Amino acid sequence: LGAGQSIQKTYDLTRYLEHQLRTLAGTYLNYLGPPFNEPDFNPPRLARAERVPSATVDLDLWRGLTDNARLAANYRAYSRLLCYLRALDGQAATAELRHRLGHFCSSLQGLVLSIAGVMSSLGYPLPVGPSVPPGSQGVVVVAPNDFLKKMDDFWLLKELQTWLWRSAKDFNRLKKKVPPAVVTLRLEARGF
Amino acid sequence: GLVMSCGHIIPESPVVALGSNFTAFCILNESCLDFGSIYANQIIWKIKNRVVPKEQYHEINRTVSSVTFNDTSSLVDPLTCNILADGQIEQNIYGISVTLGLPPEKPTNLSCIVHQMLKLIYPMTCTWNPGRHTFLDTHFRLKYRWPQENFPDCIPKDANNSCTIPDVQFFVNLEVWVEAANALGKAESDPLILDPIEIVKPLPPHNLSVNSGILPTVLKLSWENRISGAVMKLKFNIRYRTIGDTNWMQVPPEDIASPRTSFSVQGLRPYTEYVFSVRCMKEDGVGYWSDWSEEKPGITTED
Repeated sequence: LGAGQSIQKTYDLTRYLEHQLRTLAGTYLNYLGPPFNEPDFNPPRLARAERVPSATVDLDLWRGLTDNARLAANYRAYSRLLCYLRALDGQAATAELRHRLGHFCSSLQGLVLSIAGVMSSLGYPLPVGPSVPPGSQGVVVVAPNDFLKKMDDFWLLKELQTWLWRSAKDFNRLKKKVPPAVVTLRLEARGF
Repeated sequence: GLVMSCGHIIPESPVVALGSNFTAFCILNESCLDFGSIYANQIIWKIKNRVVPKEQYHEINRTVSSVTFNDTSSLVDPLTCNILADGQIEQNIYGISVTLGLPPEKPTNLSCIVHQMLKLIYPMTCTWNPGRHTFLDTHFRLKYRWPQENFPDCIPKDANNSCTIPDVQFFVNLEVWVEAANALGKAESDPLILDPIEIVKPLPPHNLSVNSGILPTVLKLSWENRISGAVMKLKFNIRYRTIGDTNWMQVPPEDIASPRTSFSVQGLRPYTEYVFSVRCMKEDGVGYWSDWSEEKPGITTED
């Protein structure tokens, strides 16, 4: 795939994930039950939730990043979010919800691969080092009680929605910067 | 036969390619040699009780005789090794069953389609040409992967030329290929690289309704699409005919080549009953048309 086509597919996939998550999050929060499914539920972020990659960033800072750095940040974030999501989708009650979570998990894994594909088509190296939560060796530490477990799930879905919303903008902007089907020179690497 | 087994044949139960050559060996037990003074040169090979010409025999040593078939097409079950000791009746030493067949050919014409089943369920069915009949138990597997992710093989249930993957992902290129394997070998089709979003046959629009407009020559159609705009934007075909007429007329495709849930059909005859039907496909024309929707009648107002 050329860079332009690869970015377009990644953008489409991000929008598709947003679409899936819009209905999936509502269904899952209903499954968690009150207060998590109440529209005005806005809990403080507990220390536990810090381990989920926060989507809250300084927009100027984020915009100021190079394309490479921003793609790498997206890649790392979704790799870690995928770990948490896999821990979440195992116990969901209904078969239909489990199927949809499984489908969403697969889609998110596709997004990680797609971002890697975009990075390689633009000549950027993949981020080195663990994409799993720091200090966890890929094992997601389960919350000590049910309420905190649900709080973890709540924050995971919330952060995912924000990450996907911003990533769609990132890829849309990148799509316009990279001309379609044109050999992409690694301009950035040569300091132009 | 002799109470004690006096020999055996190798290979034991071979699977052999039709038209190839094949050699079997009959090995006599030393114990029998002393007992019945029987030697390899007294062996008689038979296929289904018909003696194999002696030119095809070869005495390897005093206990081993081989037989060779240059073209296995003439080989019939069973292949037996028999002995004719001096002045005695012919005794059977051992027999084997030879299975003849062909290695699988490379599967060809691999093609896939994603049939939308429900709003969020998209199984992908792939079909292929399995190649010639092999006369053997031949297993087919549909294999598929992303660049760094292998998925479990799709194993056809009761066919050898198609398999359905229950749920595929969109917007990530998938490599798909078929593997055929039997006792005589394995063959793989050429791989197909596709993005499942580009081979979707969506569900047809539904809840079609037809309402008369202000003008007697216009009827307004409304419907619901069953695939989300986030998955794909749609274009449409609308066909209509008057009740009792079998010829369909179509709205010019370019008039409905963009996402919508309604359309006003113009140029109709006043005070006439029509039947309408709608279908859809991906806006850029990549993929398959849905089936036609259920037909819905509508009648224009009087002039």
